[in-house]
Amino acid sequence: MKTPEQFYRDLEEMLELDPGTIKGDESLDTLNWDSMAVVMFIALADKNHGVAVSAGDVRKAASVADLFAILSK
Amino acid sequence: MARTRFSNARIAGLTCTFPENEVSTESLAISLGVNARRVVSMTGIENRRVAPPHICASDLCADAAERLISSLGWKKDTIEALVFVSQTPDYILPATACTLQHRLGLSHECAAFDVNQGCSGYIYGLWLASSLVESGLSRVLLLVGDTSNRCVSEEDKSVAFLFGDSGSATAIERAEATSHFVLGTDGSGARNLIIEAGQCRQRPNPGNCLRVEVEGGKRRPTELFMDGSEVMAFTLREVPPLFEQLLGYAGLQRGQLDAVVMHQANKFLIDNLARKIDMPTDRIPTSFLNFGNTSCASIPVTIATRLRDAVSSNPLTLALMGFGVGWSWSACTLALGPIPVPEITFLK
Repeated sequence: MKTPEQFYRDLEEMLELDPGTIKGDESLDTLNWDSMAVVMFIALADKNHGVAVSAGDVRKAASVADLFAILSK
Repeated sequence: MARTRFSNARIAGLTCTFPENEVSTESLAISLGVNARRVVSMTGIENRRVAPPHICASDLCADAAERLISSLGWKKDTIEALVFVSQTPDYILPATACTLQHRLGLSHECAAFDVNQGCSGYIYGLWLASSLVESGLSRVLLLVGDTSNRCVSEEDKSVAFLFGDSGSATAIERAEATSHFVLGTDGSGARNLIIEAGQCRQRPNPGNCLRVEVEGGKRRPTELFMDGSEVMAFTLREVPPLFEQLLGYAGLQRGQLDAVVMHQANKFLIDNLARKIDMPTDRIPTSFLNFGNTSCASIPVTIATRLRDAVSSNPLTLALMGFGVGWSWSACTLALGPIPVPEITFLK
């Protein structure tokens, strides 16, 4: 299991954000989060975290914290 | 899991036909106000062939079939079955395969039927055609194609950039050859890739023929809905185990495969699958760059455009894998070549 900080760096890379942008309490609305990002996150969870996540759970996520919680399920 | 081994059916040749009309991702992205670079980076699709209203999948398949039959030198009365795999047939009824039998001038003693499958459809067709040959027929013509864009809203960003139209023809004949097939289904995923209206569950009516606002743009209920996130989760869940089952059943190691030809869903999905099945990308040919996701025909399109020289001159050991709408999945290993692969053509 990766640390939250490692996860934030993964997410920044996926969303093409500058390193250090994500602190953990951001709403996904502020991060250009869209349907393409949902698809990319499902692959990221599999590739970087070895977790098969539910697509429905990812679609319902509203914050970075929600995404990290999905990985921890 | 349905598993079948054949030892007396081989592919004798194949080819594909496309509409001449080409649509670029860049031009569509501009009209939809979308970042083309991001779409191409994700899908890998730069151009697609889109059929004009007067061209159906049957027309593309008929053209491919005529050229293939001619190239093989097959007498038409030696073809004992025609299988047409498509989700964009000409009519609700009759079966398009019946009209194709007549158009191609095949014998009245030829069996002809349609199969409604998409992403898994080519391997389904090979499985059926091989079964027919193993059970006594000599020659079967497998026609696989879709004009998916007919059922896609160009105002729905979730699907507008993906699909290409094409038709293929594959000849299967009785000859010593070994192939292994594994097929499966999980209909609980049906709602994730669906055209809800237009057939018998929801007949077309003035209400469902209007485009309405949906996430990603506008779409009619008579047009394709796709939940890309569910497609991704399904694919990562089902396809890697399918590949392992196939290798185990066929008794093959990864190193014995010259290529793994997958359904050409999109670049992002295929890249992730390549990683999951632990195959080098140089042995996973792709055709999405210039043809998009050509639905049930994407595997023969990839063979005809990317492996043509190789299968024309050498025997290759291939794994083919189709997965998607249904949920339905299929995979096979087979020896292909050397066989005639007439050059692809484009219809006006």
